[in-house]
Amino acid sequence: MTEPQSARAYHDASGEQDILVEVRGLKKWFPVQRGLIANLLSRGHTAYVKAVDGVDFTIRRGEVLGLAGESGSGKSTVGRLVLRLLDATEGQVLIDGVDLGTLKREELRKARSKMQVVFQDPLASLNPRMTIGQAIEHPAQIHLPGTTQEERKRLVSELLEAVGMSPPDFFYDKYPHQISGGQRQRIVLARALITRPELIVADEPIASADVSVQALLLELLIKLKEDFDLTYLFITHDLATTKYICDRIAIMYLGKIVEIGSLQEVFENPQHPYTRALLSAVPVPDPRHRRTEPLPSGEIPNPINPPSGCNFHPRCPIAVEGVCDVEEPTIRQLADVDGHEVSCHLRTGDYQHLDKAIT
Amino acid sequence: MVNEGAITGERVTMGWSLKAGEVLYSLRDVSVDYGTRTGLVKAVDRVSLDIRKGEILGLVGESGCGKSTLGKAMLRMTRPGKISTGELWFDGVDLLTLSQRRMRELRGARLGMVFQDPMTSLNPLSKIVDHLTETVRTHEPKVSEAAARDRAERLIGRLGLREERIDDYPHQFSGGMRQRIMIALALALRADLVIADEPTTALDVIVEAQFLDLLRELRDEFDLTIVLITHNLGVVAEVADRVAVMYAGRMAELASVSDLFLDTKHPYAQGLLRAVPNIELDDAELYQMEGAPPNLLHTPHGCAFHPRCPAAMPICSDQQPAFQPVVGDHHAACWLYEDHPDKGGDGGVR
Amino acid sequence: MATELESPPDPGQVPQWELELQQVGLVRRMLRARRWHGTDWWFVAISSVMVAAFLVIAVFPQWFASHDPLEQVGPRLLSPGELPEQEILVVPVDGSIAAISDFELDVRTPVAVAQDTPSSDAARDEADRITDEIAAAGGEGRVRLRIARFETVGEALDSVVAGDAVAAVISSTAFDDLTADFPTLQSSGAVSSAAQDATSFPLGTNQVGQDVLSRLIWGARIAVIIGFSASIASFVVGVPLGLLAGFIGGKTDRALTLIMDSIYAFPGLILAIAIAAVLGPSIFNIIVAIAVLYIPTYYRIVRGQTLQSKEELYVEAARSLGAKSKVILGRYIFPNVIPSVAVIFSVNVADAILTGAGLSFLGLGLPPSTPDWGIDLARGQEFIRSAWWLITFPGLAVMLVVLAFTMMGEGLVEIFNPKLRER
Repeated sequence: MTEPQSARAYHDASGEQDILVEVRGLKKWFPVQRGLIANLLSRGHTAYVKAVDGVDFTIRRGEVLGLAGESGSGKSTVGRLVLRLLDATEGQVLIDGVDLGTLKREELRKARSKMQVVFQDPLASLNPRMTIGQAIEHPAQIHLPGTTQEERKRLVSELLEAVGMSPPDFFYDKYPHQISGGQRQRIVLARALITRPELIVADEPIASADVSVQALLLELLIKLKEDFDLTYLFITHDLATTKYICDRIAIMYLGKIVEIGSLQEVFENPQHPYTRALLSAVPVPDPRHRRTEPLPSGEIPNPINPPSGCNFHPRCPIAVEGVCDVEEPTIRQLADVDGHEVSCHLRTGDYQHLDKAIT
Repeated sequence: MVNEGAITGERVTMGWSLKAGEVLYSLRDVSVDYGTRTGLVKAVDRVSLDIRKGEILGLVGESGCGKSTLGKAMLRMTRPGKISTGELWFDGVDLLTLSQRRMRELRGARLGMVFQDPMTSLNPLSKIVDHLTETVRTHEPKVSEAAARDRAERLIGRLGLREERIDDYPHQFSGGMRQRIMIALALALRADLVIADEPTTALDVIVEAQFLDLLRELRDEFDLTIVLITHNLGVVAEVADRVAVMYAGRMAELASVSDLFLDTKHPYAQGLLRAVPNIELDDAELYQMEGAPPNLLHTPHGCAFHPRCPAAMPICSDQQPAFQPVVGDHHAACWLYEDHPDKGGDGGVR
Repeated sequence: MATELESPPDPGQVPQWELELQQVGLVRRMLRARRWHGTDWWFVAISSVMVAAFLVIAVFPQWFASHDPLEQVGPRLLSPGELPEQEILVVPVDGSIAAISDFELDVRTPVAVAQDTPSSDAARDEADRITDEIAAAGGEGRVRLRIARFETVGEALDSVVAGDAVAAVISSTAFDDLTADFPTLQSSGAVSSAAQDATSFPLGTNQVGQDVLSRLIWGARIAVIIGFSASIASFVVGVPLGLLAGFIGGKTDRALTLIMDSIYAFPGLILAIAIAAVLGPSIFNIIVAIAVLYIPTYYRIVRGQTLQSKEELYVEAARSLGAKSKVILGRYIFPNVIPSVAVIFSVNVADAILTGAGLSFLGLGLPPSTPDWGIDLARGQEFIRSAWWLITFPGLAVMLVVLAFTMMGEGLVEIFNPKLRER
């Protein structure tokens, strides 16, 4: 899909596609604020919201990795950790081989030109007091100090054209509240791209747009990826959209990745019971469709007090007592499939012999 | 006075005596206007719609199409907007002729509403049991405290929540559970009609699926009629019996759910269905609809959809098509299916 | 088959109606706003006219005040519209005499006066003056009077009626009281032609003889100086501190908030009194005292807004772009915080003017000769029954000005409230 460019193919010696993002053992625990008395009663035992609890993955250049899950899964937090908008409690994030955690403030600030974020709500992500032109120009002002005002204005116009906002001069002096929601998201994209980043973390980028506009934005995202040689971490709760843009997908539940693999693999051959339930529960715009899997009972538990053993076991249709409620599973590759990893005792763990269900 | 369903001409009679399929609530030529800084906005533009007892009617559209406003209009809760034209026939009476007091009696008792955001719809300072008993005793003052509490407990249990939790406060429940509580409030008074405005938008996928299953069960068990307002076509496909599609404040298409999805008539609905990602399909192409939903201050002349319509004809920018039957009970507002002497070219049915 | 229309608009392109909408001018938008905002629009409109008028008067008092506020321009304690008391000539209604200059020359004309009044002097002065005029014009002849003294004004007037005197010279106020009893007599104006120009004062004079209206107008200038200077000073100190505290947080925030809360907790006027008393009387010190009073207000509001803005998504976005903290504070947080403060400014000025008047009322700050509303209020207290106009008009002035600024501020707050804006 992407043509290898000699300036970037550092690790290409062995013919392997080079890795842009590597995440190892990432954890983010938020301490729970409590009143004085509560603290005394619990005798100094701090409770934590384990938003992200041990996550590993890699993203290759030019790839789109989808990160899917429901609320409380920690996917948005992972996105922020990857860009070091939050500091990790444990673990490492390596961008292009460089551990973000080791960078000093000034170095990190400069590194930001290479990795950008697109949030869900474009109206909230844009400063209501800056015109569109100013908003898009601002990153260039920060990271391209040698340029003149003229040159920057030209860059802004180029980008406005690239995201389909034409004529650029018309939009230059407008304020965010004067344009539509879909257009705003385009502006956010233009702003993210002006410093020619390599990585874009997109956190629900199309969720707040109208249905008919979402398709346009999705198309735009795909087009921009190719035009600008981008790599995406695509965070979403809408599994249906991942089909159209993602190469690989990771499913998260309560701060951990339960399944990860190529899009085709995960969708056609889902292994983890949560993945299966999730895929089955997605509403399909076809009245003939019937659900194939029973819904798990109950709701997502509180991340302060995750269940013992496997996080999913209280709701899991195939949970085995004595195993799943005791021991935490580790994520392992499926026996016969490359790149498809699952975190389940009965699917890839040591207890596969107990798996009664035949997939 | 014979009260007829606006579209079908069927009689609108007393709620309890209705049989399944008869018209329970009929909106006729209803318009809702809002005054804004820059002009008058017609959020709902002469909409007629019949709602039948025992059905789940999906009301679908994108933002600004008027579906939420229509839902509110059904309970006469459009303030600061005004219902400028039309009639709301329910239970043999035009609701617009009722006094405020009478209307308040109806709301909650016969007409219930479930709102979108479960986080803010409940009073954070009242226990759940208090919400329920207060609702019951306001509308049925003769019911004793104990009897009301009993009814509340049974309802909570039926909705899948543990009965012990009835003394908890709203913040102790999750979003999905709060939506169930909202439904319980509607059911506490055995409402005939429940209007649910984007009830699952704020919910996770699995909880949403559980909620939709619950809606279906409740419809069967309590003989509920539900108007489900949503922008999510998947939800509608899963749970609705009939679907109405709105665009720019007007009714675009109304059909049974299978007819709408498998034999779509209106070009907007067609485009919408093709623009929605379908997790089951293998083709990786999403239809891209040109343009964006119109600004209601400047609705395009003639058919509101014509600037974005791939099948637009000269007459479309000139005159507004009527919302009328195309095939049996399948209605659409489109010149493709309507004859007009001024229509140029081949006005054949697609 | 569909006929080909013009190509559907590009999703990024903007339709014509939008372009047209942008061209609506400012005036039309303001007028349209009237329908939209209703009462608040009128509030702001009326009060801003009042405020504008007030500011013009305050900046150019010399255009409006007909007298020097410090000069004694008339008799003491003249009520509004009252003519000062003068000696007038009272003549028969259908007589031929209108002034002393009409008297026959060289004849001793009988003139009636009441005894122990300055009337006889006034009459003689005028007679001498006219004689001098005639002499200066080269004529001959003298105006001679034969003064007849009576015990009361009434007897003096009787003699005119009886024909014993040609005219009477009495005080205008005395004649006002008796005019009903002497229908055949009338006043022909002041005896002395020089005194013809005695005017009344629209708002009266005070106990020193100064024109109340002129003092009021010049007092506006003092009020504006105090009000605006104090507000601006509070703004300039409070806003940056609030920004800093909100943005940095931590110990800086806690320390500053502690100080500010302490000041805020003090009852306003008492604190101002204390500071002014300590610093000594001068207009500068009053301004400082009032400014200190309002710094915490600005601080709190700005700090709260900053804390809120800090959590906004666009600030996080700015951070993700790699913007430095200074830039974030200056370009992202500050412009979003300022609007909420700007409208408070107006109400603040009103409050400052009120406090300033209060301080000078208590005698704390301005040199006693300054034409200031507070001072006038204080001085007018003792005359509240005898000369009500001394205290009423300064009081009304303070009230109106404070009302105007407050209305304007409150109206603007409503209009700029974003929640209401959407509808």
